[in-house]
Amino acid sequence: MKPLLRLTVSVLLILFAACVCPRPSAAQLDPWEFEVYPYQTLGRGTVELESLNSVIAKGHRNGDNGTSAGTLPSQSMWHTALELTYGLTDRIETAAYLNLAKPSGHDFQYAGSKFRLRGSLFDQGQLPLDLGWYIELESHRVPKFDDQKLELELRPIMQKDFGAFSLMLNPIFEKVLDGPDRHKGFEFGYAAGIYYHWRRFLSPGIEFYGGIGSIRDTDPPKQQQHYVFPVIRGELSHGIEYNIGAGVGLTPGSDPVIVKFNLELEKFVGAIFGPTSGSGSFF
Amino acid sequence: MKYLLAPSLIALTVMTLVGGARAADTVVELRFENHRFVPQTITVPANRAFRIKVINASKEPIEFESFKLNRERVVGPGETIIVNVPALSPESYDFYDDFHDDVPEGAIIAK
Repeated sequence: MKPLLRLTVSVLLILFAACVCPRPSAAQLDPWEFEVYPYQTLGRGTVELESLNSVIAKGHRNGDNGTSAGTLPSQSMWHTALELTYGLTDRIETAAYLNLAKPSGHDFQYAGSKFRLRGSLFDQGQLPLDLGWYIELESHRVPKFDDQKLELELRPIMQKDFGAFSLMLNPIFEKVLDGPDRHKGFEFGYAAGIYYHWRRFLSPGIEFYGGIGSIRDTDPPKQQQHYVFPVIRGELSHGIEYNIGAGVGLTPGSDPVIVKFNLELEKFVGAIFGPTSGSGSFF
Repeated sequence: MKYLLAPSLIALTVMTLVGGARAADTVVELRFENHRFVPQTITVPANRAFRIKVINASKEPIEFESFKLNRERVVGPGETIIVNVPALSPESYDFYDDFHDDVPEGAIIAK
């Protein structure tokens, strides 16, 4: 089977599995983080400053609709997350986020904080499928942006390279630890991407984001959020990378149009820990 | 939680089954010294997986990276790493030190 055909078949089957089989997922989609995580973590001893931005170009005019999880409407909302990441080891990185939001007609405001660890398992290419993990705590103290105070997010990370193509899949499992929905179970969402490695400075891709709500009580399909983002991305000089795209909402519950642009800057500052042992698969 | 297992297992199975490239016995050696990679060009057989042994013989940290191969890894001074590369179609693939823009880019040629 040709690589492109294999990719297409894989994506269709995975989306089918995520949306139809389980009736799980639909975790609140995070408008501060339109990013698909790859297998590879940040290099050991490297610091990365990233600005994750999204603007709801066409959204909803009432709160708690589309990407809004609070009382403010999503229409014209600007989201910026400033993320600082450090590569602890060859397989584990840690990151902190400061979430800011600019509602239409207002200034930028604090909207929440996040802390996470992300890791990769085994060496890349050692298994037929590259695997990783992700655990995150989200703190929201601003109900107008999100009325859940504390949330736990878990993501298995899967990646497969087919020649010049890479397929990445992040199923998202989210649980409210403190807030009105703390008695509810896990929600399910997803972030996925297909990328073509064309040129280092410019390469195309397609990303998918969405959620289906609580696993035990799935949202009706029309209320779920599902987005497709054609993107371009690349690496520029001096360690600068970018990812820009326009997303289209596929359901009435989605915001119709979202524009995202992520910028990141990497710099080696020095490693705390030594290199990963040749036989180690987890640290 | 049982509902979580189905999609994850299906996705894992599908992606694993459609995969194929595995690390091979062929190992090519690449040294970083005097602020450059030696050799600058590596020729490997097409359609066969191989491994690259990257030796950083310099006193500066580097990040061995290949955009086309989607590989990147920090290599400290005096350290050696192994990079698994799947079977490649006949083409030229880049590699470079992502920490230093002035290090000449190298090429892996599969033919």
